[in-house]
Amino acid sequence: MRILRSFGLALCILAAGGVLSLVLPEYHLRLLNLSVVASIAVIGLNIAFGYVGLISLGHAAFVGLGAYIMAISTTRLGLSPWLAMPAAVAATAAFAVAIGLPLLRLKGHYLALATLGLNVSFVIVASNWLEMTGGTNGIAQIPSFSILHHAISDERSFLWLALVSLTLVVVVATLLHHSRYGRALISVRDDELAAEMTGIDTTRLKIMGFAFSAAYAAFAGCLFASHVRFISPEDFSYAHSINYLAMLIVGGEGTIVGAILGSVLLTFLPEWLRFLGNAYLALFGLLVFLVLVFLPTGIVGLRKFVRGPSRVDRSVQAAAEVRP
Amino acid sequence: MTILDARNISKRYGGLAALTDVDMTVSAGEFVAIIGPNGAGKSTLLNVFTGLVVPDSGAVLLAGNDVTRHATNRRIKAGLGRTFQHGRTFPRLTVLENVMVGAAICPTLGERALRESALQIIEQMGLADIADNAIRTLSYGHRRMVELARAVACNPKVLLLDEPAAGLNSAEVAQLVKRLAHLREKHQLAVVLIEHNMGMVMRLAERIVVLNFGSKIAEGAPAEIQANPAVLSAYLGEGYAHARV
Amino acid sequence: MADFFQLAINGFAIGGVYALAAIGFVIVYEATGVVNFAAGQFVMFGTFAGVAALVNAQLPWPIAYAAALFAMAAFGVLFFLLVYWPLKLSPAVTVIIGTVAISITMQNAALLVFGSWPVRIPSPLEGMTVEVGGAVVSVHALLTMAITALLVGGLWFLLHRTSFGIGMRAVAQDVQAARLMGLKVGRVLAMSWVLGALLAGAAGLLLGPMWFADVNMGDPVALKAFAATIIGGFGSLPGAVVGGIFVGLSEVLGASYISSAYKDLISFGIMIGFLFVRPQGMFGEKIQDRG
Repeated sequence: MRILRSFGLALCILAAGGVLSLVLPEYHLRLLNLSVVASIAVIGLNIAFGYVGLISLGHAAFVGLGAYIMAISTTRLGLSPWLAMPAAVAATAAFAVAIGLPLLRLKGHYLALATLGLNVSFVIVASNWLEMTGGTNGIAQIPSFSILHHAISDERSFLWLALVSLTLVVVVATLLHHSRYGRALISVRDDELAAEMTGIDTTRLKIMGFAFSAAYAAFAGCLFASHVRFISPEDFSYAHSINYLAMLIVGGEGTIVGAILGSVLLTFLPEWLRFLGNAYLALFGLLVFLVLVFLPTGIVGLRKFVRGPSRVDRSVQAAAEVRP
Repeated sequence: MTILDARNISKRYGGLAALTDVDMTVSAGEFVAIIGPNGAGKSTLLNVFTGLVVPDSGAVLLAGNDVTRHATNRRIKAGLGRTFQHGRTFPRLTVLENVMVGAAICPTLGERALRESALQIIEQMGLADIADNAIRTLSYGHRRMVELARAVACNPKVLLLDEPAAGLNSAEVAQLVKRLAHLREKHQLAVVLIEHNMGMVMRLAERIVVLNFGSKIAEGAPAEIQANPAVLSAYLGEGYAHARV
Repeated sequence: MADFFQLAINGFAIGGVYALAAIGFVIVYEATGVVNFAAGQFVMFGTFAGVAALVNAQLPWPIAYAAALFAMAAFGVLFFLLVYWPLKLSPAVTVIIGTVAISITMQNAALLVFGSWPVRIPSPLEGMTVEVGGAVVSVHALLTMAITALLVGGLWFLLHRTSFGIGMRAVAQDVQAARLMGLKVGRVLAMSWVLGALLAGAAGLLLGPMWFADVNMGDPVALKAFAATIIGGFGSLPGAVVGGIFVGLSEVLGASYISSAYKDLISFGIMIGFLFVRPQGMFGEKIQDRG
């Protein structure tokens, strides 16, 4: 039933995207593409943070790692993007496991600061390892994906690629959410000790959730690289990690719909507030802060004003109540 | 047959001896209660059984295997189950999903089979009409029942219950006693019960272990314990008089 | 050797600034439990309070410094009322994101007011140097070290020898008990924000003549202060001092002897190393209960 609803959501995404691809001007299509790619990263972050409760301020580093592996293997080794992408995703997930083993013994703000340090270190390395990453000049001319010799390089066709990817990601995330692994992940955040007491190896599960989340990030990174076709360390600075977290919280953490809504909203917000000029970012911070204070369950929490509390609202509210 | 065997368990916290040379065994299907005043080391003993506390000395054997250094989740998989003193459920999951987390201990069950087996336990525990409710809508008594159901779903050979009746009203306590008796019959599981409610202990327990200041001061059938002068002076006096009423 | 000596003095001076920033961060964390991710912007505000008073208003320097610190204290109160209070019952994660959001607002508000062009604030000791053992050392660096030592000493005195400080430590340890003892907990919490803002302000004023005043300076300072806090031990004041100086020295010495490109990686590498091996840092709390 719930699985069906997720397929419904996936269809909605495709239909909405299809309509939008016909009516939106080129520039807005570009933003829409960026927001779809961000959604994929944020759905990944939702697994680490929304389900397992790992506060990661280094998600952009995983997006960046995926993007750089993709960029380097296509431009240097001449690998097809279709081959480079799974390699980048797998390598990033493996990296997350390796780093997660020591890292995930930390909790709360220790983990937040450690992941922040990880992100900053990533940018320093990417900026200075000139032979490999081109330093701050970045890597240009990353090839687009192509199907049957048709390059997916214009915004309209990329939108289809992005939407199909998002649909795939949503379906996988929903299947995960409603599987034994999803419940186990959620139980670990709710009460780690009680989860251990049901025979769950919580350490292993946390690392698994972290790796899964990193894999999503890397997938988003690969799409980003092939969309923008030029990457530099700036694209993956820790400010982006914070942006991903803000997207998730504004949308409604713990929910896939919230992750998508937050990503779209915060990608378009600068555009809508463009008349403010330089004051935009000052207002952006304030808006996020106000959402935290007045809408702690994010935009999806607004649903209860529209109709009775839904299942999603309930679970999110319960989560908000219980956290120490 | 002995399922759980704890030998010479000692644990100190700084200068405080939480447990001193405690021996305890539990046979298959047996109902054992641990009683003693607050701070006697009862919960610490359960923590040693479940691996939350590593003893300074001594060994814990589960079905003949030494698990003293094993992680908690391995012990649970090997047949231990436990509930906590104040009840710990997963608030973001429904009642059914909570129990399914427990049932997932069996790695081969598919999603549908998981749901079936969880529903069966929910039925037995009398929680069928709230199976799809969110935890936060439940009363404290119901939450504790959900926790118990989740522990049972892990299919334990020994179930460790830490004050399951604390905070429940008398009707709920009566329900709990009934369910526990039923569960034992149905699943042939052994139960180790920590409880201050002496009425409940005397009705259910086949054997009672009495701890005081971290040491075992008596062990025996309820009738023996009631007559044991050391126990009476250490603990029972007031509580027991109350329970007799 | 003279080079080394000169570098070490500079390392100590910049380390002192990091230490002050880290102490401001730790004071707030100890009293209120808030991990303030806007701590770097507090320091940036301190520097720009100096810019406003010294460069824009052209006040004589004692008055300018006093005005800047007063502005920082007022900002501490404002932050307490508008940011801390609305989030005081929120989960830790929400508070972290909340301070991050406000830090973005602070940085861009400064950008709106002061523009993106870096300004240099003069030191009252502009250009003065002394020769110590063959090394030429700026007096400002020496003064920075002296002021840091003075502030740390004063803070120790405040926390351990005055009734206000003892009340503050009581609140940090147990809010409920402190309230039952008749302490005005709200006022103590507000004062901890004021103290945090003042220390950050002092760090900012000292940093102004060493770096250019730049609205983007908050993040690097915050990262160094975080590293100092982890290395020294979360929640520990002596730890913040030792950690800050450690980070300052490793940055300055690392830049000249190892690699200037990777100088920041040294302190973060050490921070991450500490997190893995000894997360409680040199002097810190045991981490089981917190976090």
